[in-house]
Amino acid sequence: MKNMIIKAKEKEGIVKAKVLIQHKMLTYKQAKKKGVEANFITHIVAKVGEKVVYEFSTSQFLAKNPVIKFKFRGKKGDVLEIAWSDTSGAHVSASKKIK
Amino acid sequence: MNRRKFLTLSAVAALMLPIAALATDYRAEKPDTWKAKTVDEAVKALYGDVTPIESSDVHIKAPKVATGAVPVRIQTNIKAKSVAFFQDVNPESAVGVWSVPEDGIVDYHLKIKLRQSDKPAVLSVIVEGLDGKFYTAHTSVTVAGATCEG
Repeated sequence: MKNMIIKAKEKEGIVKAKVLIQHKMLTYKQAKKKGVEANFITHIVAKVGEKVVYEFSTSQFLAKNPVIKFKFRGKKGDVLEIAWSDTSGAHVSASKKIK
Repeated sequence: MNRRKFLTLSAVAALMLPIAALATDYRAEKPDTWKAKTVDEAVKALYGDVTPIESSDVHIKAPKVATGAVPVRIQTNIKAKSVAFFQDVNPESAVGVWSVPEDGIVDYHLKIKLRQSDKPAVLSVIVEGLDGKFYTAHTSVTVAGATCEG
């Protein structure tokens, strides 16, 4: 998927991850003005294998095209998988090897 | 139900299971949190009747004056079960809830939308510790210029 950019780098056992998601994050108020349905990301999960390393239940107040950064214990070569879902029912996931 | 349909369904169920077993979706579990108009109501809906302790181990960083999206960083060394983030200027209070995985590091960075208002916006973070206690920290941001109109 083109709509997510993931960067993950390991240093001394700790992986720093940066994720950019392209999403309009329309709040109820903005959507009302435009006359469309509100649509925002509600849930983001990051996993390495079967292990959840980051989990975030979100609201409409994340900025447009949200960028999230987080850290977790991991190692080089593992694959980090990010999945999000929004209020329109879309589920998108992408993965990236940890550098 | 024919055999093919049954097989597809079980495959779907098998795929869904690990996610459901490991993760907590606070939107699905605590729907009232996201509709609450004040921080106190949101906290009550999320954690019940709790009195969080002001703690210097919880760090929340945001610029004093912001235009556009407001960058926020949340950190703590406390062994946490979950971390919740609220503000008091947008129509609803809750911004997000992280469930901290076992052995997880709480060092989160994100950008949020804040509505412009007369008084500075108060951002609060509440950490639900593994010891069952609640810790909190606050910071305030003056929003100069519209930031995507909450």
